[in-house]
Amino acid sequence: MATIRGESGSVEFDAAGSTLATIVGTRSWSLTITKETLDTSKHGDTFRSFVGSMISGSGTVELVYDPDATGQAAFIEDVVTTGDPADASFELFTTGSTNDSDSVTFNGIITDMEITSTVGELVIVSCSFITSGTITSNLE
Amino acid sequence: MAAADLNAIRATIEGRLATELASSPPLPVVFNNMPYEPTPNSSWVQCLTAFGANEYLGHGLTTSGYNRIVGLTLINIFTPLGVGPGANLVIGKRIRDLYNRVIVSGVFFDAPVGPEALGSPSPEGYFQTQVRVAFEFIEEL
Repeated sequence: MATIRGESGSVEFDAAGSTLATIVGTRSWSLTITKETLDTSKHGDTFRSFVGSMISGSGTVELVYDPDATGQAAFIEDVVTTGDPADASFELFTTGSTNDSDSVTFNGIITDMEITSTVGELVIVSCSFITSGTITSNLE
Repeated sequence: MAAADLNAIRATIEGRLATELASSPPLPVVFNNMPYEPTPNSSWVQCLTAFGANEYLGHGLTTSGYNRIVGLTLINIFTPLGVGPGANLVIGKRIRDLYNRVIVSGVFFDAPVGPEALGSPSPEGYFQTQVRVAFEFIEEL
């Protein structure tokens, strides 16, 4: 058994979808992949049956805000991209930073950005995203 | 970015105090692991800095990672016995103002606690109060 601790994760991002680079200062990410289902039950059936349909994903990335940290500004500001063509590429790593290994890759749109400044705490940024197009899972 | 230099953090904290207490009216200040024989009925200050818990703040292990290092600076203020707390609190205010919510060289100081009078001064023969200043430093690997 090889368990993995969260701090070994990382996030790579490129707003233009060309060259992925690590966002410095991420502290968590989450991804939920959902597959829709189509009901194929017929008259006479006694058990409902389904086939899988469209697959989509959504999630969040949380950062310890540092205006000088590599990659943060491009990531945070992608939410204000108008007419977003969903060309931004993401790679979420559970461990390491070897592309297409222990990670999930996809293109997506940042749909929410929340920055929080609280007395006595670090300034934290939380961004939500949805995937667009193929989701490639390399979590095996 | 590099691992935190604990000695630099200590120097930031102690240097600030040493500079202040070297100005008028000057006061002797002694730090960790330094010999000092106080003059009876004099005023002097002892500063003890200790590092405490560390915690992960971000992803990245040994590269691109952030840690929070917290610590505590204890500052003992000694003034002559039997003449009231006034002189002690004057020194306490100087010290409190020095660290109160200040950020210096990446060291974040909290609002200080005290000066708080101690019932059993150590060493004996003085009126002793204590100012406690918690601090934190964000280490960027």
